Amino acid sequence: MKYAFFQGCNIPVRIQQYALATEAVLNKFGVELQVMRDFNCCGYPMRNVDEKSYILPSVRNLAVAEKAGLDIMVICNCCFQSLKKAASIMAKNPELAAELNGMLAKEGLRYTGATTIKHYLTVLHTDIGIAAIKEKLVYRFKGLNSAVIHGCHLLRPREIMGFDDSFVPKITEDLMAVAGATSLDWLGRLECCGAALAGFNDELSIRLLNEKISGAKAAGAQYITPICSYCHLQFDTAQVNSLKDESAAEPFPVLLYPQLLGLCLGIDAASLGLAQNQTITSQHISNLTALLGPPVEEKKSRKKAKATS
Amino acid sequence: MNFSTLLALSVVICLVGLALRLYVWFSQGIHPPTSSLSLGDRISAGLQSTSKVLFGGGIVTIIKSFFSDLLFQQRIIQKSALRWAAHTLIFTGFILLLLMHGMETVISQKLFTGYESTLNPYLFLRNLFGLMVLAGVGIAVYRRITLKPKRLKSYPSDWAALIFVGGIILSGMLLEGSRISSYTIFQGMVEEYGAFDEDETLALEAFWVAENGLVSPNISGPINQEQIEMGREANGSSCIECHAANSSAFASFTLKGITRPFAWILGDSAAVSFFTFLHAAFCLAFLAWLPFSKMFHVVAAPVSLLVNSILGKENGTPANLLNRQMVGLSACTHCGSCSLECSSSMFFESFNNDFILPSEKVQFLKKLAAGKDIDRATKKRLQEGLYVCTSCDRCTDICPSGINLKEIFVSARYALLADGTPEKTLLSHFSFPLALAQRYTGDHLKALKAVEEVFRKTLQKLTDLTLPLSLSRSKEMVNQSYKSCYSCQRCTNICPVVRSYDNPIEALDMLPHQLIYSIGIGNTEVAMGAKMIWSCSTCYLCQEHCPNQVELTDIFYTLKNKALKKIDSGENS
Repeated sequence: MKYAFFQGCNIPVRIQQYALATEAVLNKFGVELQVMRDFNCCGYPMRNVDEKSYILPSVRNLAVAEKAGLDIMVICNCCFQSLKKAASIMAKNPELAAELNGMLAKEGLRYTGATTIKHYLTVLHTDIGIAAIKEKLVYRFKGLNSAVIHGCHLLRPREIMGFDDSFVPKITEDLMAVAGATSLDWLGRLECCGAALAGFNDELSIRLLNEKISGAKAAGAQYITPICSYCHLQFDTAQVNSLKDESAAEPFPVLLYPQLLGLCLGIDAASLGLAQNQTITSQHISNLTALLGPPVEEKKSRKKAKATS
Repeated sequence: MNFSTLLALSVVICLVGLALRLYVWFSQGIHPPTSSLSLGDRISAGLQSTSKVLFGGGIVTIIKSFFSDLLFQQRIIQKSALRWAAHTLIFTGFILLLLMHGMETVISQKLFTGYESTLNPYLFLRNLFGLMVLAGVGIAVYRRITLKPKRLKSYPSDWAALIFVGGIILSGMLLEGSRISSYTIFQGMVEEYGAFDEDETLALEAFWVAENGLVSPNISGPINQEQIEMGREANGSSCIECHAANSSAFASFTLKGITRPFAWILGDSAAVSFFTFLHAAFCLAFLAWLPFSKMFHVVAAPVSLLVNSILGKENGTPANLLNRQMVGLSACTHCGSCSLECSSSMFFESFNNDFILPSEKVQFLKKLAAGKDIDRATKKRLQEGLYVCTSCDRCTDICPSGINLKEIFVSARYALLADGTPEKTLLSHFSFPLALAQRYTGDHLKALKAVEEVFRKTLQKLTDLTLPLSLSRSKEMVNQSYKSCYSCQRCTNICPVVRSYDNPIEALDMLPHQLIYSIGIGNTEVAMGAKMIWSCSTCYLCQEHCPNQVELTDIFYTLKNKALKKIDSGENS
């Protein structure tokens, strides 16, 4: 398996650990990720301003991947949505498709629809599969409660994203379960982190963020696991910024999914960039490693599973 | 005027130019108008931090950077082998020529015993170095032409630099070629160094015609082999000591034919003088032009790279921040590497605004730093260019001159915003990284207020309406899904933004279902003016939960686009 690795603009400069951990995990399953220097912004930041200018960059990215003969694997939700949206418009609106392809022609690029776009969670869940992940486990968490926040643009609008059931997502549940982590049922699971408002409506943005943090705490989470890079920046950077004036306040720790799974695959914390999460302390890292147990499921739960089946 | 006077003149011009450029380093800068630092502050801050680095352990980093960044140019090779080849060929060839040939009286003659410009290896090396430069110039021209579709912009000044460098080398080769073939030069040498009888002189001439490229008026047609051998002997006894075979000057030897028509027209010795003049003119003009052009990067880029090796993307003290900005702006070679990798390049294609490309911004920002008057329209485009930036830092990471572009661009944004032109793209996700970085937070809020003011002026709010809302035909909504709304208000009930406020109507002007309703009765205007669309977190919950598949979030995006377009057209009218 080989993919063109789409990291977007934020990850290579602000969340390198997300790419690092994803690569480390996927390497274990023989997935090859090719970083394409020719990729540009997905267009998302322009969406408030002009729809066509928002679509064009993603069409170019798709064309770049198509020229290389690769499918795209994305780790940022907002990039994922932009690429998906662009692909769907190119398929549905031939007139606009011709116009956009016309703009790419001078660079010798063209998108015909040959490239497909996958989220890394789909690669893990479907392409590699839960069974294969289970085989490679070195450890399994025992007693780790995390609050997964999917990020809106991963799931919705369902007609465009087609990622999972947008009301009852199952992929993250399975992926958390295979690592032995409990994915809590909590209020913010499918809701907004506030990132899309940051920079021009900070007050509301922080209000939405804080609502998620207190929700995760109330549900008994030890960590929050954002899927989207924008969510990550909200929890790991904006949260820390907002606590600047309260020296006593400890930020709620953020643990990315590939970091969580990576630990179970026997990858060390440094290779997963755990310490690069601003909200993760060395204490958190040792707590996490202490929670790692043998890679077999508990007998009790097996019996239960048998009884119900 | 003789050569020395001209040389002195161009050296003086060059030195004055250098002094002016250095003065600019410490006197100009890009910053919001609030800060003010004197020339003295700036210079002392620069000196202080330099000495702190040199005597405080930074010296190792500096030395490492000198070899890897300055001499080896590792920042270029990491991104493009072709561009590295071009730069290295020009840089190495030119410097070696300058030292060995241009400054032969002070360097080569002192360093190498028995140095003669006509002896090997010097004769050969001069041509080799020259050819290296020409090859580098050739690659650079090729690059500028082939990368044009990939948004590499070239100015006349870029071509001028290549013409100057190439011209110096080519004129030098032609000069050498004209001397090789010149009978006058040959005669002069024979008179000065030889003691031959008439037969020997004839034989020597025959040999030089046959093997050393001489064009003699006395010899035409095939030459007697015996005479050549005799000449070879004479050459061996009297000339070879100080003059190697001309064919070792392989480039000039090949090009010598080109100089012959000049000799026929101007006369043999006048042709040599002509090429001497041409070569000197190129060299001296280049020297005088250097500090006023992008070639000043030979001074500024090394400084910028060394500073970068110490500071990276850190900003340093306010005074040094400005110093570094100015060193950086003067170190830009307009190579376009930043624009080739710019993540916003496709926005450039959509907006057709050169200022979206980092290389074009940098060039123009020199004017802003110098405090020059910029007209309103240009300022607006520059502002848009500065804002349509994903803050991916690729330009900063790639810049071969180590310019902290990111810092310059952020400072420029707020310097312009403080000037009062509201920037509507502030209301986009381009603002997200800026909010995270938390620089100029006060200025940012002020700029947002200015945009809000423009909104208030351009768009009506529900509360502004005095007449009752009336039904009219909806126009121009591409997305027709609003028509299926049956006002169940599920969208509003599920909206995380609405529930964030105690009094949502006061905070948001209109609620999601009301926005759809207003479009339904044909009043998109009032929907465009509602704060709700700019408070929409784009979480798509409303759209996903709508029982009638009204695409609310998508419609809100359309409303946002329309509102900004309306503001644009209002500004342009």
